[in-house]
Amino acid sequence: MAVTYPTPGGGAARGPSRRGIARIRPWLLLAPALIILGVLLLWPLVRMAMFSLQDYGLREIVSGSTNWIGFANFTEILTSRDLWAVVLPNTVGFAVLSVTGTVVFGTLVALLLQSLGPRTRGFVTGAIMAAWAMPAVTGTYVWVWIFDADHGVFNQVLTSLGIIDQPVNWFTDRWSFYAIVLLNVIHHGFPFVAVTVLAGLLGVPREIHEAAEVDGAGAFRRFFQITFPQLRQVFAVVIILSTIWDFKVFAQVYLMPGGAGSNRDVLNLGVWSYVESFGQNRYGFGSAIAVLLTLLLLVITAVYVRTILREEKNL
Amino acid sequence: MRRTSTGVKATKAVLVVLLLAFTLFPTYWMLVSAFDDRAGQGGATLVPREFTFHNFSYVLTDGGFGTFLRNSVVVALATVVISGVVALLASVAVARFRFRFRTQMLMLILVVQMVPLEALVIPLFVQIRDLQLLGTLTGLVIVYVSLALPFGIWMLRGFVAAVPVELEEAAYLDGASWTRMFRSVLLPLVAPGLVATSIFSFITAWNEFIFAMTLLGGEADKYTVAIGLKSFFQQNSNDWGAIMAGSTIITVPVMVFFILVQKRLSAGLVAGAVKG
Repeated sequence: MAVTYPTPGGGAARGPSRRGIARIRPWLLLAPALIILGVLLLWPLVRMAMFSLQDYGLREIVSGSTNWIGFANFTEILTSRDLWAVVLPNTVGFAVLSVTGTVVFGTLVALLLQSLGPRTRGFVTGAIMAAWAMPAVTGTYVWVWIFDADHGVFNQVLTSLGIIDQPVNWFTDRWSFYAIVLLNVIHHGFPFVAVTVLAGLLGVPREIHEAAEVDGAGAFRRFFQITFPQLRQVFAVVIILSTIWDFKVFAQVYLMPGGAGSNRDVLNLGVWSYVESFGQNRYGFGSAIAVLLTLLLLVITAVYVRTILREEKNL
Repeated sequence: MRRTSTGVKATKAVLVVLLLAFTLFPTYWMLVSAFDDRAGQGGATLVPREFTFHNFSYVLTDGGFGTFLRNSVVVALATVVISGVVALLASVAVARFRFRFRTQMLMLILVVQMVPLEALVIPLFVQIRDLQLLGTLTGLVIVYVSLALPFGIWMLRGFVAAVPVELEEAAYLDGASWTRMFRSVLLPLVAPGLVATSIFSFITAWNEFIFAMTLLGGEADKYTVAIGLKSFFQQNSNDWGAIMAGSTIITVPVMVFFILVQKRLSAGLVAGAVKG
């Protein structure tokens, strides 16, 4: 990666003022982006950290005054029963299940796609793209409609098969609630995994596979001993990106019946932070939850960046 | 060559059919319910019992979806134009120039993308409130530009890096200034990447939900499509035909765009990964 580009603005013979411009040109080009990112992403992050150390409510928002209380918000969160019994399992446990589900299912789909002829593969890939393109908001509403208690197709099918006698409300129970969220998230997330892994699979030379087959290696063994090691970087990126996305699941929970705070059993970190802030006007407490979520994601991001750096070194 | 037996072929065919059924069912169900006049009362069926456009006409006229659509288009287009220009300039800087803190800058842009929206929504709400832009589309555009920017820079950097430096040098040899070179050489060659990035920002703005819900508050005439749908949910019974018709109106443009842009998007990511 040691390519050195000639200094653009090039003509060195054109006088000192032009060279001065050439030196600051990258900063001129970057300035608008840096100002926007600074004012609208970095400064808000700093403010979030400041709010998290205050009892920041409607009064403070209106008057703009401060109300420092040290780490009281964090103590309240970390000693709250909600966090350990409900919110953290709903966040971390769900992320683990959905990442596993998405990656395993996506990889299986990629293997299936690889074994198809080019025309079928193109067609199926196009169909998968449709699932990917469905916005989270409308996708969630469609799943809610499918599992709707009164007229949903899921209850109708179960009733007509005689498995249940009466329509069941699947949204009140924590487990069935999150099973629907899981279905929604996997359905929406597996296309990215499938397409990315497929791109990697098509890059593995066929000859290696055929040689292994001649030597008598089964399909299972070929996958874990040849394909998987070759695609280690692809899998690392796919897993970490899915983890980051699945920790941040918000609309998929918030828009479900009871998901907006009325059913406290189904809160996750993001929704908890939101309903404490905008529902109870406890912006300081909500910020403290958001700080915890951000720190959690920061750790995962650090792993992500290190993986990418290692990958670039290998190229 | 390997021989595929008919058994293997049949299994594959079954798997493909199952996969397609799982993948397409929600979209199909959305369309069927949207075109069924009785979806709200008795639930939808695999084929609409009473085919109708009534749900669509209701949503677009009485439901106020016309206004929501106009708001969404205005917000998304403004976001696309502003973030496109800013991201292009920044991506030229990081792809073509060597300067101090360049690597740190790239890392910063990457990390910033990982920040959860739920964390940003509280401070940005306060900030937009201080600017007295709550309940306005301007406030929403400002936020969306900042959300679309990091990914835009990261994408366009790949496209800019893929343009051969020799072309730029040739322009300089012909006596072109930097600005002239940018306009006549770089811009036309990066245009496909710009289109891909624009569509991505459009989708971001079109789909976004948390900020629209928080910043627009009770200003129903300023709602974008993503939160406009909520108005069809009633206390006791939901008009599912109307909700699915609204969902269809939101989803179809996104699907079309996504399928159009998909190839270019992955090309840009690959280019960005290979070229420093």
